[in-house]
Amino acid sequence: MSRPGFVLEVDDRTPPLIVHEGEGFRLEQFPIGTRVVYPPETLPGIADVDGAIRHALEHPENSEPLRALLRPGMRLTIAFDDVSLPLPPMQRPDIRQRVIEQVLTMAAEAGVDDVQLIAALALHRRMTPGELQYVLGERVYRSFAPSGLLYNHDAEDPDNLEFIGTTDQGEEVEINKRAATSDLLVYVNINLVPMDGGHKSVPIGLASYRSLRHHHNSHTMVHSRSFMDVEKSAMHHSAWRMGRLLAKHVKIFTIETTLNNHVFPAPYDFFNKREWEWSVRDQATMLAARRGLALAPPKLKRRIFQSIRAPYGVTGVHAGETEAVHEKTLKNVFRQQAVEVQGQSDVLIMGVPYLGPYNVGAPMNPILATCMGLGYFFNSYRGKPLVRKGGAVILYHPVPYEFSQLHHPSYVDFFEEVLAESTDPAVIEQRFEKQYATDPWYIHLYRTSYAYHGVHPFYMWYWAAHAMDHVGDVVWVGANRKTVQRMGFRAASTLADALEMVSDTVGRSPSLTYTHNPPHLIADVR
Amino acid sequence: MSPSRSPARFIRETVEDVRLVARGWRWGRRPLVPGSAEPFQPPKQQTVFPTAWARTPVANAVRDVVQRFGLAPLLRSTVRPQVAGLDVLTRVRPPVLFVANHSSHLDTPMILCTLPDEWRRKTTLAAAADYFFDTWWRATGSAMVFNTFPLERRGGTPSSTPGDLLDEGWNVVVYPEGTRSVDGWMGRFKMGAAWLAVEHKVPVVPIAIRGSYAAMPRGRSWPQPGRLPVRIRYGEPIWPAEDESPRSFAPRIRDAVARLLDEDHTTWWEATRRAARGETPDPAGPPVATWRRIWAQTAPPVSQRSRSVWR
Repeated sequence: MSRPGFVLEVDDRTPPLIVHEGEGFRLEQFPIGTRVVYPPETLPGIADVDGAIRHALEHPENSEPLRALLRPGMRLTIAFDDVSLPLPPMQRPDIRQRVIEQVLTMAAEAGVDDVQLIAALALHRRMTPGELQYVLGERVYRSFAPSGLLYNHDAEDPDNLEFIGTTDQGEEVEINKRAATSDLLVYVNINLVPMDGGHKSVPIGLASYRSLRHHHNSHTMVHSRSFMDVEKSAMHHSAWRMGRLLAKHVKIFTIETTLNNHVFPAPYDFFNKREWEWSVRDQATMLAARRGLALAPPKLKRRIFQSIRAPYGVTGVHAGETEAVHEKTLKNVFRQQAVEVQGQSDVLIMGVPYLGPYNVGAPMNPILATCMGLGYFFNSYRGKPLVRKGGAVILYHPVPYEFSQLHHPSYVDFFEEVLAESTDPAVIEQRFEKQYATDPWYIHLYRTSYAYHGVHPFYMWYWAAHAMDHVGDVVWVGANRKTVQRMGFRAASTLADALEMVSDTVGRSPSLTYTHNPPHLIADVR
Repeated sequence: MSPSRSPARFIRETVEDVRLVARGWRWGRRPLVPGSAEPFQPPKQQTVFPTAWARTPVANAVRDVVQRFGLAPLLRSTVRPQVAGLDVLTRVRPPVLFVANHSSHLDTPMILCTLPDEWRRKTTLAAAADYFFDTWWRATGSAMVFNTFPLERRGGTPSSTPGDLLDEGWNVVVYPEGTRSVDGWMGRFKMGAAWLAVEHKVPVVPIAIRGSYAAMPRGRSWPQPGRLPVRIRYGEPIWPAEDESPRSFAPRIRDAVARLLDEDHTTWWEATRRAARGETPDPAGPPVATWRRIWAQTAPPVSQRSRSVWR
């Protein structure tokens, strides 16, 4: 039986606690009285995953069985979540492979010839052939990729985009033409966090910049409280309006999957455990890992961390009509991630790990570290933020001045040019977004190389807009001073220093809350 | 985290890390669970550690050597054991149930090292399964040196081991309080000892131990410096009456220990008269502030009879 998440109050019996900080981690002795939010323990995975997929396809929610929707001569498109999910990538076989293999088996049995598979990556970087093969398996890749029937969505290909219409709020809906003109669009998702899935899959994953700009903007993000809470997220409200419009034009069969919290494989599984329950072996492994990382050159460290493959268990597979499916999916996600927390605190402390959705195979640059800390982690709440309005956030990450020229070329310019002018998301959006979004060089790199779209760093900055609006102070522990200064933050060497620095904002004896993730958690703040 | 370029720095940081872990995870001591995490601890696995091997002739021989030439000198070098009342053992034959108050880890060595050899060699101890048998090495060491067997104190099916051992002729030491006293005063006696005595028709030899809390209270892993005195007094055996229930026998055992404590504090005569009047001091201590209770118990015991009769 998995134990629920809970809030630890640090006392004199509490050992030092793990804090992730980029490609490394530290042991931090938090002040007595600090609240530490622990996610629920890993739920048991479904024993017969293939059986669960089969059952979901045969008995879908609010829809005919998939088999009944397939017929000879039809145009079938299968879209799937890209490399940004799950994090870390899961051990083979990926759940998308297992689902898509069953969908294709049914399609073959039904005599469907016209099938195409599209990685729904919106303005993310394209998936490499190796990544496609890892995610979909060798069978699927070999059957479709060589003939060009398995490919990445291209949001900048005007010939392959279809304008669907405009919502009652004036939001333009434009998605991949092949998907929009199919008789059936099957979407296969991995719902790692509550933000994923639902109408965020098709209307965002297969959309163009023209469509995305309606919800990926600073105003929407400030009013998404939080974007992990679908009901209170302006971004999701927009996506839902788009999705409902889209559903009138194309038949969508959504398949959503959820994973448990089994993020770290052996020998890193001590990260999954509560520190006071570490065995002698866990302590020895942790010490060996820490000292090994201290010796390892940066490239080796990156290789070690980036090679982590999570032994996730699958906690749910649901298929059918998008909203009915997503309701069940969210229940599974919250079952694994929700923790009840009583009240806000003056200071929220978070450790930013080595990996976020946008740096698979790349360093986490300063913009992405900010997005991860002040975006994803800060927004991992329902109700109200873990930190009070005007409080302080303390983040752990080295925030090196390091960018992947392959994946993040526009980030470098964003950091050097845009942030030098302003760090205010609204100002940035107004003055610079269009220029970056329409820059032909960035568009060229996005379409032909493995670069994120030119506008992507803006979105990452907007992701943090709510946190920047809410808190009064942000201090990074162990960070490069110059890089965090450019982003409008401050750096401290230790937690004690950081608390000293934020004392002007929150006083000398603030209440502290540390969220102990990964694995991911959602705080239900009462 | 930048790589440690200099070997000296790497070694220094490694030492710091090891120290941090050793302190945080209490190497060499029992790990602790944060107070707020206790309600979320997983239930302990109900596995019974086998201890029959510790009562084989070879193990008994090894233990005899360890206790005589290791444990006893160590005890005498750290505290000053003072024993009284051993003559009661001449009036009773094994097996018996030794029942003592419990306020320190010194209590068990005190009993074992003050019993006559022929009694000690046939004495075994009930030890908390969740405490002394939580890891294999602690369980093995405990069974080997002290001849302990695990007793589940968190409920569940009663163990048949102590009864079996009594039937086999072993004396059994039981601490009916179930755990060490938090302030040195005696706690509530559970029914287990009375039930064993009634069920297996064996006498109970009460034991009163004073000063062990002052010498080594809860939380200490080694006695206080200064060889503080620790007194142990054996009392007259008591038998359960014919058809006496454990429920009525248990208070008699507790009264016997209480009277022994009073006797050790004053004299046999005074304690006997007080007992006759029903005025034996409550061994649970006075209902005063916690600090005063601890204060009283941390004073080393002083025996009235240590004064010379010729003065």
